[in-house]
Amino acid sequence: MIGFLVRRLIQAVLVVLGVIAFMFILIHLIPGGEARAVLGPKAQPIAIAQFNKVNGLDLPLWDQFAHYVWNLSRFDLGRSYTLNQSVTSLIAEALPKTLILVGLATLLALVIAIPMGIYQVVRRNKWDDYVLTGVAFILYAVPAFLLGTLLILWFAIYIPIFSTEAPQSDSIWGILSDPKALVLPVVTLAAISIASFSRYMRSSMMETMTEDFVRTARAKGAGPQRVLYVHALRNAIIPIITLLGLSLGTIVSGAVITESVFNYPGMGLLAINSAFKEDLPTLLGVTFVVTIATIVGNLIADILYAVVDPRIRYAKS
Amino acid sequence: MKGLLMRGACAAVAAAAVCVSFAGIAGSAGASGIPTGGTKVSGGTVRWAEPPSTSPTYIFPFMTGSESSVSNISQFQYLMYRPLYVFGFPGNTNTTLNPTLSLASLPSYSNGNTEATIALKNYKWSNGETVTATDVLFFMNMLHAETANWFDYVPGLFPDNVKSVVVNSPSSITFTFNKAYEPTWMTYNEFSQITPFPTAWDVTATGAASGSGGCSGGAYAAASTDAACAKVWTFLQAQASDLTSYATNPIWGVVDGPYTIAASKGGSFQSTGQVTMVPNPSYSGPQKASVTVIQEPYTTDNAEFDALLGNNLDIGYAPQQDITKPTTNASIAGPNNPRLTNFYLSPWILYSFNYAVLKFESTGDGGNAGAIYKQLYVRQAMQSVVDQTAMIQKFLAGYGVPTYGPVPVLPKNDLVDSYEKSNPYPYNPAHAESLLKSHGWKVVPNGVDTCQKAGTGPSDCGAGIPQGAQLNFTMVYVSGTQWQQQVMNVEQSAWNAIGIKTQLVGNTFPTVISAYGPPCTTGQPCTVEEGWWGGGWEYSPDYYPSGETLFSTGAGSNAGNYSSAKADSLIAATDTTEASLDSYENYIAQQVPEIWEPNADYELSEVRNTLRGVAPQNPFANLFPEYWYYVKG
Repeated sequence: MIGFLVRRLIQAVLVVLGVIAFMFILIHLIPGGEARAVLGPKAQPIAIAQFNKVNGLDLPLWDQFAHYVWNLSRFDLGRSYTLNQSVTSLIAEALPKTLILVGLATLLALVIAIPMGIYQVVRRNKWDDYVLTGVAFILYAVPAFLLGTLLILWFAIYIPIFSTEAPQSDSIWGILSDPKALVLPVVTLAAISIASFSRYMRSSMMETMTEDFVRTARAKGAGPQRVLYVHALRNAIIPIITLLGLSLGTIVSGAVITESVFNYPGMGLLAINSAFKEDLPTLLGVTFVVTIATIVGNLIADILYAVVDPRIRYAKS
Repeated sequence: MKGLLMRGACAAVAAAAVCVSFAGIAGSAGASGIPTGGTKVSGGTVRWAEPPSTSPTYIFPFMTGSESSVSNISQFQYLMYRPLYVFGFPGNTNTTLNPTLSLASLPSYSNGNTEATIALKNYKWSNGETVTATDVLFFMNMLHAETANWFDYVPGLFPDNVKSVVVNSPSSITFTFNKAYEPTWMTYNEFSQITPFPTAWDVTATGAASGSGGCSGGAYAAASTDAACAKVWTFLQAQASDLTSYATNPIWGVVDGPYTIAASKGGSFQSTGQVTMVPNPSYSGPQKASVTVIQEPYTTDNAEFDALLGNNLDIGYAPQQDITKPTTNASIAGPNNPRLTNFYLSPWILYSFNYAVLKFESTGDGGNAGAIYKQLYVRQAMQSVVDQTAMIQKFLAGYGVPTYGPVPVLPKNDLVDSYEKSNPYPYNPAHAESLLKSHGWKVVPNGVDTCQKAGTGPSDCGAGIPQGAQLNFTMVYVSGTQWQQQVMNVEQSAWNAIGIKTQLVGNTFPTVISAYGPPCTTGQPCTVEEGWWGGGWEYSPDYYPSGETLFSTGAGSNAGNYSSAKADSLIAATDTTEASLDSYENYIAQQVPEIWEPNADYELSEVRNTLRGVAPQNPFANLFPEYWYYVKG
């Protein structure tokens, strides 16, 4: 296992460098110049020259990249062109917000989707299975912006139970201490995940229930509950672990639509606004963090496979 | 009974819907639909919505272009650090200098307009010191040392055109120029840039003695002063880079404006954009503030509109898509969205104009685009099929202003001439077609026009345009804004209809402005043809619309490389003599150096019915919350 981890870490470093290099080159291929984009139509050549000098944009591209990687190795992600803050502090502001929102939504989705998937297998091809399948499809089909807007209209404006906005506090404690404001955005995000998780769970469980070891367990006299929760669930949950591992990158990169609708400036909005404003340091910084999260997510998923299914081993072979 | 009277009054006027909208407002609605009257209530809090994803991020009123935004200057810094001359008025769309709120009397020009003396009024900083001539010199010294870091610097103009700045007394300072300048031009375009700095800022380290930096008291333009100012700038810039300390840093707590964000006074600043501005109790201007202003950040206009519906704001804005009924006058609100019963609508028009760039040095269109754009008749033909009035009515519900030249026709101002206001190129496709035909083009509606008569005669295509050249262009515009997309579609269709084949390419704002904002460089290929970044040009802090940075040959913001000896001499005349601005303005309007485009209102503000003093709003996007107050609702 240790050898496996070491190999994966080396791979991870190479992947991160590759992604950063690719993004760096791609971003610098955008026609025009960042200076004019940031300084606007009134910018004079002297201001543009100054901007390029201050931000190292007057250096050759390879030199800029070398500087960027060197700074990255010191955890210096640079300074935003437009927000007058270091990229690290911008991410430090946005990331916890996103982690709370998307993390809670994912947790809620799992808590609902896994039992829902199992229940549908138990009741497969019965009316309640059809109803839940229909609900899942509807939730999956409804765009987040529509669901979010409808929830705001119904539960924040017409019946003012919740807030129109997600919590506006800067601190984690401040966000968590305003649960009423968290309800609608968390529900909006969870609804979509519930749909996909429950479908995966249902199909995986159905497949597992046809496996030989399940039949053997039944033949040995195991009751339906034991078969379901002890023998089948551990195997059936592997696709969900894969999904979760892959979704760590998504969790970190934020939920731009939900963040927009609920006025919650997290990682998604930070990324998209920096892209629209050609704020390259911020865009690269967000990409870097999301890349790390994606790699870590996959690594955790790989480790969890071994924990859940002892047959899976990461030997050198 | 009151309701009956209200309904009766409403029935008596044609604009019944407006009356219905304002039923329930405390006081009464004025002629423009803005509520008036009511019993004043002292204090209170105004929750004010920042534009989407646009929050204040820079406090030091000396900044580069990347920090020079409306949200940083007009709606944040000005509330704490007043410029020497304030332009515009609270609750008024006047575009002139405001002598009441300015920190100094009007400049007194002498020696054939080569000198100006400014007398300061008796304004106070919040630390008890007086705003003096030394504070003005401090700014000028900083400007001289750090031109590259001043967003409004144009080589050859301020401060290059200032030979000396001498403090005569604590309340008097004299500027000597390198030549004679027209006083209005100098006051509106150059002195307008000055913001006095307190000597408490003349330091190079936290806790250092006021004035120890050596910038405020040094001789103007001396090398030693420049060196000292550079160090002070570096220190202040570093302080301004720490957003989290804005409310606690004693440097930023020294204010001369009506508001402060100092935590010690109850203010706050969050780097996410929420700002609490509290009245500065020691403000020495004519009107002390009474309300606290909380600036609220919003990710999108939809999120903001939800907050309005939820009654979580006192001043916000209606997104274009939430305007339910049009207006017939861009300055006066039509009926408000019926869901916003607690608010009245106030269109906010800025002193700005909008244009799409034609690249006069373009090598596009088979190498002919530049030569074609240089032909006045081509530009006139293109402009003659742009039906701005119809597009404003259709796509902006009437909340927009047509552009007919370089001086905005709205808000009402004395500088716009009747020729420009009359729209020199009204919508007339037949005229456009005849212009092309009479200059040797074979017009193929919905095809591609071709030049049949090369040459430079009055009925020929024009210099540099070979026989067989085509009118076939690409317009790159900023996609993502519905009305701009619609405008582009209509213009494309109109140009195609007279055989000026136009391909539309949507792109992001940074990409469009990067490609089309800079003028083409002589000797380098310039394949771009037409571009529209949608934002146009706002006259602030250069309030006099004289155009030297926009239309002079070789000017840094002359995006299209327009060049005309006559325009150059007319522009020079507006800068240096008392020649009327009209000649320049009308010439540029007639020349169509860019395609004049419709200009959307800056914001369709929604103001709580019980809040007074807000509307009409300042055409330079400045806020004057010291004049805001609530009435009993």
